This record gives sequence, structure tokens and C-alpha cells, in this order.
Amino acid sequence: MKDRDALAGEPAVRFDRVSLSYGPENDVLTEASFQLAPGSFTFLTGPSGAGKSTLLKLAYLALRPTAGRISLFGVDTSRQDRESRALTRRRIGVIFQEFRLLDHLTAYENAALPLRVAGGAEKRYRGDVIELLRWVGLGDRLDARPATLSGGEKQRVAIARAVVVKPDLIIADEPTGSVDVDMGERLMRLFRELNKRLSTTLLIATHDLAMVRASRADVLRIADGLVSRAPVIAEPASRDSPGRPPP
Amino acid sequence: MSAASPLLPREDASDIALFFVICALCFLAALSGLAARSAYAAADSWTDRVTGQITIRVRGDDASAARAAAIALASPGVRTARALDRREAEDLLRPWLGAAGVPADLPLPHLIAAEASGAATGVGEEIDRRLAEENIDATVDDHALWSRDVERATGSAGLVALAGVGLLAATAIAVIAFATHAALLARRDIVEVLHLTGARDAFISGLFERRFLMLGVNAGASGALLAFAAAAFILFMAKQSGDRIWLLPQLSLSLADGMILGLTPLVAGLAAMAAARLTVLRSLSEMV
Repeated sequence: MKDRDALAGEPAVRFDRVSLSYGPENDVLTEASFQLAPGSFTFLTGPSGAGKSTLLKLAYLALRPTAGRISLFGVDTSRQDRESRALTRRRIGVIFQEFRLLDHLTAYENAALPLRVAGGAEKRYRGDVIELLRWVGLGDRLDARPATLSGGEKQRVAIARAVVVKPDLIIADEPTGSVDVDMGERLMRLFRELNKRLSTTLLIATHDLAMVRASRADVLRIADGLVSRAPVIAEPASRDSPGRPPP
Repeated sequence: MSAASPLLPREDASDIALFFVICALCFLAALSGLAARSAYAAADSWTDRVTGQITIRVRGDDASAARAAAIALASPGVRTARALDRREAEDLLRPWLGAAGVPADLPLPHLIAAEASGAATGVGEEIDRRLAEENIDATVDDHALWSRDVERATGSAGLVALAGVGLLAATAIAVIAFATHAALLARRDIVEVLHLTGARDAFISGLFERRFLMLGVNAGASGALLAFAAAAFILFMAKQSGDRIWLLPQLSLSLADGMILGLTPLVAGLAAMAAARLTVLRSLSEMV
């Protein structure tokens, strides 16, 4: 694998003619090409069933494309061995649409999971995890298990788990879908802070066009298996991030 | 806040069921192992008692018997040779003819009990040849035929028991592999989340390996303990049966028995761990 510093200027995510199909006549994604510059903030929009979640799964390495090439942080993931793919995943925080919390772990343990998996010592990360959970309003729910949490609380634990390692890339699937407006705005502020202060690259799939409009983010649209870069709704982004032209 | 929860949930119903299955298989395997060892021990016990023992039946008068005893004693490798008197011959027949004894007019052959040193071979044939040279009508029996038959029979029994142990071990491994696969399917969500969070394959596999190692060791130890209890019970019952216990398979709970009982949980644990590792790594290989 190439040296991480040498790849600092490479796109965080790059899709080159990526296709995914579940058999003939069942194309989910057709030759999608786009890239996300490091430190960019991008929304992924599109109608229900258009393939937003599938595109995200390809980006966080849960699915293998049937054609094309996906590069993360400048490295072609198809050429990575399992060990280096695992290390690449540690640079990505994923917020799943269905949360995917582990039911037998507490809110604190769920949020701390990526640190535990990476072999960190609990005494070193414990304070940070508790502070993060307090920040998302779960300071008094640290020992609660997912079964006793509301949808919004689960969502916030899932978000805490995704951002706890201060990842280089955050991929979120409808991250504000289960929280109220206030919490939704608060979480978006958290994402913007991460984006601004730590240059975290964000790719967020959402239905919430108001949220997209309120941001100054780039927008990718997906429809009928085709990905296109939509006009920036708020302020134009200064970064050069070419995408596949609209059909 | 409580201590960190394990990344795999604590035992559930399927783990408990698997515990009993492994426990039962280990009980049977350990008992088969003990049976195999005791079959060999019984064969040794039987053959040790006749090895070196030579019986000479002399058809003739007391003088012929005395001469035969002297010839036997003079033969190379013979340590002792002694003509049995009528009372000793009657004692030998008592188990078959009862306490009433042998009728006084029943003619009994003259018996000479000889004992050869353990290392000597062909002693019986040599005595037979020397008796024939002296024209003494006698039959020499060194029990070799009987001893060979016993060894062959107990050897076969031991092999059958060993095959049983092998079959049970293979069954245990297959059951463990199947159960691990089922457990993994039930916990696929956990495996996926760990995988997507950046856990290495070895890390995820290690969680299952440790879980199934402990399950195998605990279930194996329980099965071995039950087998120990069963063997002790059989031994106790056998000892109640009288002073001819050497005729029975020897369940002495010796060092070898201890090794069988001690190895059972270790083998069960390692088999469970290996099955878990193979199953988990195969399932993980299906993920990107």
C-alpha cells in the first residue's frame, strides 16, 4: 500500500465506471463515475429505491462492484488484501439507516466499538466517548441497551459510533431520519464541525431537501441507476470535483 | 458503569444445547477410551498369569511323575518344577465338581507345575522332547495357544473401542462445526458490524474461537467427569463380585485412565476451536 501522506491529495472516494447488478435485467448502478475531494461535504439524493443505500454500501466496502473500480484515499480497493481493507474501513465512519447497534452492548459500549475493535485501551478513550455521548444528549443513557432506547436515541448512538474515531470519511444513510428537527440541526452542525475542523469528508444520503438546501454542500443525484452531479443548491463549492455529466 | 460486555453475547439456548451434545459425546468417547484401555489391561492380566506357567500331565505311576518333574527341572529356562499331590489336584477340580470333592476312586492324572523364567522361549517344546526321549507318556501345555487367542480377542475388542472413540470424535467435530455455523448465522449481524467497523478477520474469528474453546473444554470436562463416575461405579460393582476380579476388564483408574479423562476436555476444546475458526473464516471470506 502506498504511504498515507503521499496520498493526502488523492480523492477520498473515487468511482470509475462502477456498475452493480444482481443479474441480467437487474442493474442497480450503471457505470457510475464521480469523486469526492478530501474534506468535501456531499449529499446523495434521489427517489426511494434508486440505489442510494447500494451506492453507499459500495463506498464503505460492504459490496463488491460487478464492474469498474472504487478507490478510497487514493488506493484501488480491488487490489487491497483483506488486512489492508480492514485498516481502510477504520478510516470510515458509517451511520447505517437501520442503526445496526449490537443489542447486548450498552450505548457507551456501542459508541466505543470502533476503538475497541482497533485495540485501544479503554482508560484512554473512555472520557472521550462519554463526552461525545453527552454532547449528543445521551449522558444519562450510557448504560442503556438499544432495546430500551427510542429511535432517535439509537440514531444518536449510531452517529457517536461513526464519529468517535474522528474518521477521514463519514458515510451516512439518512442520519437525521429518526430525530426531531432540533436534534437533526444539531447533528448537522456536528457534521459541519467535523468537516471544517478535521477536514472529514462527508457523504450523506438523504431525502431531506430542506437540509440539502440549507447547506453549502455538493449534491450527487442517483436515478435509474445513473449517478449525476446536481447543481450546488446553496453556494458553489470551490473544489474541483468532476462527476459524470447528467444524461 | 459495569465491566465491558463481551463482544459476543453470553450463552444462549443453542449454546446450552451444544454443551449437552458435546458433554454426551465426550462421556461416550471417554468411556470408550477407558473400555479400550481396560481391554488391553485385561489381556495383559490374563496372559501375565499364564506366561511362563507350564503344566505337564503324566500318564503313569508316581515314579514316572517324579522322573518327569526332575527332567522338567533340569531343562534350560525352568526355575521350578513340582509334582502336585492328589489333594492339590482335587483343589484344582473343586470349582467344577463342587465342595463335595472328588470321589476317591476317580483316577486323576499326575500333574507337574513348572515355571519358566520370563525371557526363556521354547521351554515347553524342550521339556516335551526330553520326556519323549525318556519314554515318559506325558503332555506338556505351556498355554501359548490359549494366551494367543486371548491376546487376539482382546486386541480386536480394543481396536473396536478405539474405532468407537474415533467415530465419536469425528461426530463431535461435525456437530460442533454445524453448531458453530448455526451460531454464526444467528450472530451474522454482529459479525457484519464488527467487519464493517474495521475488525480484522483474525479478531472476529478469535471471538468465536475463544467462546467455543471454553465451551468444548467445559463440556468435555463434564463428560469426562461423568465417564469417571461411571467407571468408578463399574469398578465398585466388579469388586463386589469376588476375588476373581482379574478375570474382568481392569478399571483400575490408573495413570493411563487419568490421561484419557484429562485429554478428553482438551481434545473437545481444540476440536471446537478449530471447527469455529474454519467456519468463521469461511463465512468471512464471503464478505468483501
